[in-house]
Amino acid sequence: MPEDDRKDINRDAVAREIEAAVNEQVSGLPPEQADALREKIRLRVREEIERDLRARTVSERREAVRLAREARKKEKDAEEGETFLRFNRNFRFQHMVMFSSVILLIITGMPLKFPGFILSRFVINFWGGIQNSTIVHRVGAGMLIYFMVHHFFYTILTRDGRRDFVLLLPKFGDAKDIAHNIRHFLGKVADKPRFGRFSYIEKFDYWAVYWGCIIMIGSGLFLWFETDVLRFLPKYALDVAHEMHSDEAMLATLAIVIWHFYNVHFNPDRFPGTLLWWHGRITEHEMKEEHPLELEEIVARRAKESAEVTNR
Amino acid sequence: MRKFALTAVLVFLGGAFLPGLARDASASISLEKCTLCHGKPEFRKLLVDGQIRDLFVTGDTLAGSVHAKKVCADCHFDVSEIPHRERPKRVTCTHCHFKGNHEGAPQSDNVLAYFDSVHGTAIARGNTKAPLCQDCHGSHAILKAKDPGSRVARGQVAETCGRCHMEIYAQFKGSIHGTALAKGIAEVPSCTGCHGEHRIYARKDPKSTVYPTHVSEQCSKCHSSVKIMGKFGIETEQVATYNESFHGVANQFGSRTVANCSSCHGVHDIRPPADPLSMVNPKNVPKTCGKCHPGANPNFAVGKIHVDAKKKESGIIYWTATFFKWLTIGTMLALVAHIFLDMYGRTKRLRGER
Repeated sequence: MPEDDRKDINRDAVAREIEAAVNEQVSGLPPEQADALREKIRLRVREEIERDLRARTVSERREAVRLAREARKKEKDAEEGETFLRFNRNFRFQHMVMFSSVILLIITGMPLKFPGFILSRFVINFWGGIQNSTIVHRVGAGMLIYFMVHHFFYTILTRDGRRDFVLLLPKFGDAKDIAHNIRHFLGKVADKPRFGRFSYIEKFDYWAVYWGCIIMIGSGLFLWFETDVLRFLPKYALDVAHEMHSDEAMLATLAIVIWHFYNVHFNPDRFPGTLLWWHGRITEHEMKEEHPLELEEIVARRAKESAEVTNR
Repeated sequence: MRKFALTAVLVFLGGAFLPGLARDASASISLEKCTLCHGKPEFRKLLVDGQIRDLFVTGDTLAGSVHAKKVCADCHFDVSEIPHRERPKRVTCTHCHFKGNHEGAPQSDNVLAYFDSVHGTAIARGNTKAPLCQDCHGSHAILKAKDPGSRVARGQVAETCGRCHMEIYAQFKGSIHGTALAKGIAEVPSCTGCHGEHRIYARKDPKSTVYPTHVSEQCSKCHSSVKIMGKFGIETEQVATYNESFHGVANQFGSRTVANCSSCHGVHDIRPPADPLSMVNPKNVPKTCGKCHPGANPNFAVGKIHVDAKKKESGIIYWTATFFKWLTIGTMLALVAHIFLDMYGRTKRLRGER
């Protein structure tokens, strides 16, 4: 048998068993034949053992990697505390569809607002001319429309969607939070306002997207199917749509590039950005910092649930 | 021996130069010799196609023209004997008119520009109907282009081009530019105003001034000038509003299919919108837009086409633009203020911690 420092009692027992069986087999045979048979069996067994060992080392290696990863995670969790799922997979998917469509729309749309810029000409030429870039713009538009429809049904049909929609509705408390936060920025109040699941900043982002989507998709569809629209409406309706599309695009782009990018990328707490949009998880530490009221709710609910279990 | 050699050289040189000198002497045929035949008013030739070619030329023909001091043989230098047996070749103006000439002829690169143009390349390909210099500038009675009597003067050039481009000339004569030209208005463009003078290219040639992506630039040369348009009570905003519209933007990005000025207003038959024959007359707008937007209907004409959102007269469009302007300014001010307050607070707290 090959040397192996991982051999255990079990393996020794098997070896002894095989030895005994072989001895029994060869006992009645002449010595040459017995030796030949013994050699044959030994080769077969060795082959068998080697194969088993190969398979075992691969799975053991995988197991070791997994354990190490878990250990690291546990170590990290000990620092950050427990992680919570902030955005479910469906919501993350919606966000990804939206941001990829908005990026496409901005880079193919903005050059049309500033045709004199060299960068605009570069971007349009990158797509292979205005004929192609307008097609890409419509692809982006299709994705944004899909996102809007998807989100509408998500809000109506899923429990998380309904809960988030209600939590996103503006409340009087938000105005108080704004005042509190500004006083905090100015150093008048030491502690930050305590936010629930959605702070007023996130609520603003959500409703800005809502408003932007309605304006952009509405006016964009007018411009897309201009001849059909003109069948029912006068030309100045199209001009209004054009003006809205152009102006709201500017507002949305500025809001995203300045406001949203500051809040999720350039803000010193976040720089250069978190992977929340990818894995949807948020640590207990971040929860305590940014959504203390939601954390309290979760803790309270858990306490209630465990109390129910023990009562039962 | 030395003397003999010198004589031989002299004889050789004489043999080499004398025939040339002699030919030069015989080439300078006097005007009187030409007018022996060409001075008779009935001297003409019946061509194969039945046309009559008038061959009447007198000593006064060149008088008053830019070539008043020239004689027949200066241009018709291939005529070496009288009467000439063959028809003289077409006159080659470049014999004198080239840059660096010693003749004292006006020096310019126009002849090179011409050879690159659609007419010059047609000649080079062997098209005998394509025009040479003299077809536009005239043959004997050539005047300076600035002279109003010249065939290439602003008032005359359309007719000159129209000798070949007859249908286009007929259209142009009825257009606003053509009628204004007939009235003698100085600013109005004739053919050369848009197509160029010697650098005339086919409209599908990217070098052409009337290539699809160059048309708006060409029209805006005059139509964006308040100085010119003010004289005729025409607004100049059309240029800016076109450039801001999708048509204008796509045109600036090099789209050759999108509408330019002439797609809607017409090319040679541009007429004022009030004219019922105008392509942009409200009655004709559906047809005009329908060229690119199948199914265009009278709704295309409801509302101003060249609309400027910055002007109050644009009504609802102006109010939409104003609303969004202040919405953007207000929102961005609030958001940027919030960001700066946040950063101010952070800095202050960091300093406090230190």
